[in-house]
Amino acid sequence: MNQSLFGRRQLLRVGRSAVFGALVARWSSRGVVAAAEARAVKANACILLWLNGGPSHIDTFDPKPKRPSGGPFKAIKARAQGMTLSEHLPHLAERGERLAIVRNMSSKEGNHARAQYYVHTGYAPNPTVVHPSLGGWTCARLSDERAELPAFVSIGGPSFGAGFLGVQNGPFVLAKAGTPPADVAMPRGVDRARFERRQAALDAMEEQFAQLTGDAKVEGRRHVYSKAVRLMQAPKLDAFDLAGETETTRRAYGDTDFGRGCLVARRLVERGVKFVEVVLDGWDTHQNGFDRNKALMATLDPAFAALLDDLNARGLLKATLVGCMGEFGRTPRINAADGRDHWPQAWSAVLAGGGVRGGIVHGATDEDGANVVGPPTTVPDLLATMANQLGLDPEHTEATPAGRPISVTDDGTPIRALLL
Amino acid sequence: MVGELLASPAWADHWTAYWDEQWMGRDTRAPDVDRGAFRAFLHSAFSRNAPWSEVVTLLLTATGRNSDGGSRREAEQNDGRQMPSGDVNGAVNWTLKYQVDPQDMAGAAARTLLGVQLQCAQCHDHKTEKWTRKDFQGFAAAFVRTRLIPLDQGNPMGAIKRVELRDLDRAAPRFAKMADLEPILKASPIALDGVDLSAADGVRAALARWITNPQNQWFSRAFANRMWAHFLGRGFVDPVDDFRSSNPATAPALLEALATDFVRSGYDMKHLVRIIVGSEVYALSAAPLTEEARDRDREVKLWERFRVTPLGPEQLLNAVVAATKLDAIVRSTGRLDLDQVRFRVKQRYGFLFDIDEDSAADDYEGTIAQALALLNGNVVTTGASVLPGSALADVLALPGDGEAARIGALYLRVLSRQPTAEEIARWTKFLAEAQTAPESPPVRSKPARPTADAGPPPPNRSAPQAPDPLRGLGDRAGYMQASARVRAWEDLLWTLLNSSEFVLNH
Repeated sequence: MNQSLFGRRQLLRVGRSAVFGALVARWSSRGVVAAAEARAVKANACILLWLNGGPSHIDTFDPKPKRPSGGPFKAIKARAQGMTLSEHLPHLAERGERLAIVRNMSSKEGNHARAQYYVHTGYAPNPTVVHPSLGGWTCARLSDERAELPAFVSIGGPSFGAGFLGVQNGPFVLAKAGTPPADVAMPRGVDRARFERRQAALDAMEEQFAQLTGDAKVEGRRHVYSKAVRLMQAPKLDAFDLAGETETTRRAYGDTDFGRGCLVARRLVERGVKFVEVVLDGWDTHQNGFDRNKALMATLDPAFAALLDDLNARGLLKATLVGCMGEFGRTPRINAADGRDHWPQAWSAVLAGGGVRGGIVHGATDEDGANVVGPPTTVPDLLATMANQLGLDPEHTEATPAGRPISVTDDGTPIRALLL
Repeated sequence: MVGELLASPAWADHWTAYWDEQWMGRDTRAPDVDRGAFRAFLHSAFSRNAPWSEVVTLLLTATGRNSDGGSRREAEQNDGRQMPSGDVNGAVNWTLKYQVDPQDMAGAAARTLLGVQLQCAQCHDHKTEKWTRKDFQGFAAAFVRTRLIPLDQGNPMGAIKRVELRDLDRAAPRFAKMADLEPILKASPIALDGVDLSAADGVRAALARWITNPQNQWFSRAFANRMWAHFLGRGFVDPVDDFRSSNPATAPALLEALATDFVRSGYDMKHLVRIIVGSEVYALSAAPLTEEARDRDREVKLWERFRVTPLGPEQLLNAVVAATKLDAIVRSTGRLDLDQVRFRVKQRYGFLFDIDEDSAADDYEGTIAQALALLNGNVVTTGASVLPGSALADVLALPGDGEAARIGALYLRVLSRQPTAEEIARWTKFLAEAQTAPESPPVRSKPARPTADAGPPPPNRSAPQAPDPLRGLGDRAGYMQASARVRAWEDLLWTLLNSSEFVLNH
């Protein structure tokens, strides 16, 4: 449009220091908030094992043996009073004293997309605002600006972003555990010296454009570029490389993408990452549900158990909150295709570590697993509990672009009975 | 130049992608939504420059079959240029998206078509705003009168279920069990200004007539404001979909004039865009005004300079393709159809460059993954290579010894402007120095160490990223060890493609 860089208007030199000052002020205010909250913190990090598709509570964490709804699986006693699990979760049963199983989860969202949003954000979807996920809140409020690694990493799935808190607080996505993240390696034919020549040339262009436009977004881009380059060269990038783990450890997690994802999650948390989601997909078992559930549990059980052992052995479990859940439960009725359909009325979620009381079963469903007995635990309550452990004040609000204050969850209250 | 843009097929491609994103969003998981057929509906409407009022009427009153069935994956890949069979009406897919939450469809319609945030009134009467729960319920009642007739038995994995959408003269029975819809099901359909929407030809037809009525200023203003914001980075009303008394327009007279003219033109979208792009505001450079000019121009304070906004994923990809002739590179390999490649690239990189509502905020940074993709990813790396047919190959083949002319040609191609004398000097020096720099040994950049797990990896069904369609393209296109001069030129183009001037719309 303009053939000259300077256009028709005269150049105005905007003090870049002013622009930069504003950015710095924003980051440091975040730091102050984090420090104030740190006093109440019980968990430094959270690992969310996301069972995508809506796992059958009856076939996993809330067995109903000998009932018509119970299906073919037996129940086994876990190492905790009154806790039974599916026979296909033997490793977790051994570690029952570490688990808090919430069996009275209940919601109204029976559509995958809506329910996934709900359980990630603590809010039902609403077209007027995109709510931040718990990972997004964690990244926005608790991340350390100087960290080498992104504060929020999602492994094997895109997770949910930070909504109105901005894309920069969304997840850094690792497509597949055991491989390096996309594009962290320099492209073919580019060595360090050539990369540095490119960076210097780019810096000169950016400097010129920042002065010309005076737009803070140019500084924002330079800032995120410097973070990207820091990540490319970060010693902690070895978190993504499993070569340093012993054969025994790798075997304990299981030879699966999910198992490797859990192992990478531990390595990330060890290196200061605040929130890691690891996705195990395939729980939407409308057909052939029992064979599929058995196979899924054969993946979940060793990985989850090894993660608990490994975190504990390294002294990290106390300060690492582990959650395991999907978007809803499945029907007590077994359908004609030998599967179960969506059932948000009653389902289970599991928490461990991070100041959570182990060895307990919280709440219950009726004898067929159809309905919650007594008052239910809502999704906002569960997320408020997790947020609380991370040091995110459930009462704290941030303003949406339209000026509406939004808190971490939709009126959730932490469940004291689950906490130490 | 403006005329060319308006006449180009890219017009329909662009607005199809834009409205597909606005209306369908990222979620297409409902088993009977055919995203491809929906895009085909949009593409056909925008190709013939159907009046905006007609597009909206077709959308709101659509009945008929959703899809030809078949693979969901293939439908996802249809960017709208493949038409379904004649008896499919792709427009019904928007209603299908909201088949269990019609209240959200009412909210989305109010927001995207009228610029009104009605959704908040679903739960509470707002103290200061005019919308009440009753308003919401009456409006939403116009969205519950459709029935879905399944055309396929069962639900084979990965296939789109074919259904037929029909009008109904009462609320659909499928909503009866949903407790939170009860007040909506009981309400009689009423428009936002109190007009009764019951009509002999059905409530949906009445709703479309009311929305697209020339007297309905919400409709024309919302669209004029949205288009202004699209081209200038910010609307008269901002956010674009939040018209309310406590969020007044900045230049109401100008918005009014644009809206009135838009109605008078018969809701001609190309006419409106021609007016906006022809405006003096649009022609302003991205440079800030001087103090004196600022005083003189109070009127246009908001648009004193073209606001710098990030390009969306489609725009950015299209910009890289146009700047580098990536399409020609792909064609030269004879390997894949360009549309296929374009689609796969979008699938892989689309989510990466997803920009959020807040992207106009002053502290917008983007993400680390976006920066990495531009720094090291295959789209930029391949695009910036000297390969048969590439833009850089063309530029290097220009006759003459002067590098200045080549720098100028590359600037025009990538940044649409001539370089300044200072820039020519800087790049000339860069090219000379890079050529005398110690020869780097031919390196394969070190891919992070392979992981220890031996054996072929199991198929990863949950991977969020499609395989990279450009991977190794250079090899297939006959990539050779480049000379120091060629490498220096590749560095120059790489720099331009990574620059804020290229990546930000300004």
